Amino acid sequence: MSGLILKDVSKTFAGKLVVDKISFTLNQPGVYGLLGTNGAGKTTTIRMLLGIITKDSGEITWNDKPVDRKTVNFGYLPEERGVYPKVKIFDQLLYFAELKGMSRDDASIAINKWAKRLKVEEYLPMAAEKLSKGNQQKIQFMTAVIHNPDLVVLDEPFSGLDPVNTDIIKSIIIDLVRQGKFIIMSAHQMATIEEFCTNILILNRGKTVLQGNLKDIKSTYPANRLQLDVNQDINKYLQKFEIENSKNHQYTLKITSEKSAHDLLQKLVAADVQIDKFEIMKPTLNDIFIEKVGAKNEIK
Amino acid sequence: MKSNNFRDTWTVAKFSMRDMVNRKSFRISTIIILILIVIGFNIPKIITNFTGGNFDDTILISDPENIYDDQLESLNQTNLKYKFEFQNANFDDIKNKINNGEIDAAVLVSKSDDIVNLSYIVDNAATVTTPPTALVDALSSLYTNIQIQKIGLSATQISQISPTFNFAIQQTEDKEIGGNLNVMMLMSVLLFFAIYFCAFQVSSSITIEKTSKIMETLVTSTSPRSIILGKTIGVGIVGLLQILLFVITAIISAKAFLDPAILSSLLDLSNFTVFLAIVTLGYFILGYFGYALLYAVTGSTVAKPEDIQAANTPVAIVTMIGFYLAYFTLMDPTSSLANIAALLPISSPFCMPLRVMMGIANGWEVILSTIILITTCAIVAHIAIKIYSNAILNYGSRMSLKDIIRTYKEK
Repeated sequence: MSGLILKDVSKTFAGKLVVDKISFTLNQPGVYGLLGTNGAGKTTTIRMLLGIITKDSGEITWNDKPVDRKTVNFGYLPEERGVYPKVKIFDQLLYFAELKGMSRDDASIAINKWAKRLKVEEYLPMAAEKLSKGNQQKIQFMTAVIHNPDLVVLDEPFSGLDPVNTDIIKSIIIDLVRQGKFIIMSAHQMATIEEFCTNILILNRGKTVLQGNLKDIKSTYPANRLQLDVNQDINKYLQKFEIENSKNHQYTLKITSEKSAHDLLQKLVAADVQIDKFEIMKPTLNDIFIEKVGAKNEIK
Repeated sequence: MKSNNFRDTWTVAKFSMRDMVNRKSFRISTIIILILIVIGFNIPKIITNFTGGNFDDTILISDPENIYDDQLESLNQTNLKYKFEFQNANFDDIKNKINNGEIDAAVLVSKSDDIVNLSYIVDNAATVTTPPTALVDALSSLYTNIQIQKIGLSATQISQISPTFNFAIQQTEDKEIGGNLNVMMLMSVLLFFAIYFCAFQVSSSITIEKTSKIMETLVTSTSPRSIILGKTIGVGIVGLLQILLFVITAIISAKAFLDPAILSSLLDLSNFTVFLAIVTLGYFILGYFGYALLYAVTGSTVAKPEDIQAANTPVAIVTMIGFYLAYFTLMDPTSSLANIAALLPISSPFCMPLRVMMGIANGWEVILSTIILITTCAIVAHIAIKIYSNAILNYGSRMSLKDIIRTYKEK
């Protein structure tokens, strides 16, 4: 199985290049992270991938065949959330399940199973307009996965969800990966991407600025932070450091090298300071993202 | 689980049917129209009430001066459907009888000089503007005949003075035109109604999906072709069933409330053959389909419900032109304009069934017009699907004609 391959995919709108020769491969089950600022081209890439809009050039294949509705069984949670406001939840889920090729009976079983998992059973007989936005979002998530797709595309799956519902969706995504599903996820919460994604691609103004295995990417970056938890004020030892955060004798310092951290440790030990925590840290994905797309770019 | 165009189209059609039937506005408008139909078929009765009583009324005729020489009972031999009572009674007697419900109205006959006075007495004159014309004519005619008999003319002489006139209509053109004007107009109006109220729902349905942001989920679930055709078929089936309901209600109301003589003169269905029924249904479906697809184009070009009306105006104007061309066909069915209108796809669904009913449509005209109409539907369907596919993510303002053409040319 060669999975999903995007090769030199480009798109222009009204003379403006919005996606410029993007390439990536998803050849084994897992979550692939698409990152970027507003207007970076993430949603356009997803829309081209799913055939909602046509690409100007490049290739998109699934198991060596051009991607379309007939060759790939995919599920999609769009960034623009939408439901039929006047239609009962059960009826609209049944509608989309049938359009995805499920029989009425199979669809009914799947709707009830997913409704139980997402804790929305009581809403099935209700019109969508009576549901909260969070619950409407869970219904849309059901639409994306109800037909057991091979490829799942989730555009900002956690935006607008409370912590409880975020956890429910997270556990489902983990299960989908265990079941061998291929997932593409666009998100702005860097912690979420770090939690799920093995591989990432960062877009800036339609161009790829960084892509690859997240662990490998991070390993190429030198350590840049030191976390300390001590039993007294140690500010007098920190004059050469930029203090990023400090409270209750817990410090987060920016460091230029691991040696400077070791030097500080020696000084604190010599001064008989009790050290509960000493951790030299690699840059976070957020650090890498800001470095790559520029701190001036606003994150949604 | 692979998609299947026919199955998807039918799934969209079923969903569209359910969605349309569940709409409050659809249910309310259907009920209002049904009520109006029932009221409409009662209008002749209401008019009769306002203009001089019902045919079933019991009318007392009082002739105390015996002006009619005891011949009033001959009124029972006329075609008048009133129940007559003949009795000498004054105004107070009549008033009591009306109040007691024994009679509905009365005619009090008197004479002053050479003038015969006929007082038509009812319970409340506010609802009666004139006495029943047929009754007045019958009383006048009877009085004239009595006077002629008094002169001493024989029955033959009386017959010569007032012969029975028989009028007939003949035409100079070779083609004989048949059919019933009322039935013809009704057919055109029904199609116009179906297009105006049902085909319009296709554009409304598409715009609602844009407004509710469900579009992206929908277009990744099935093809634009299935969506457009499914919506058109689904809304069309509901529209046809709605019209069928109106027609059945109209037939039942007509039978229940209209006088059979009036009904048969208004709706003479003797020219309505099986062939004509097939032609009518065929043009009805093709006409509806063509216009519904045009409405699908306009629905794709807007993103807000408030823009639908303006976007639909050009299609509504085209529909009106088609309808009025059919009207002109009725006025002058053998004119060049009528011949052209029968072939033009915007007007042929309205015109051709009428021409077939009138017996002036050639077989080749029907075939040619059908081919033109089907080809037009296929072209409009292609354009509608293309524009829908390329304009589904247009969430901005209403598209101009230039934008629509550009969108159509996009890959």
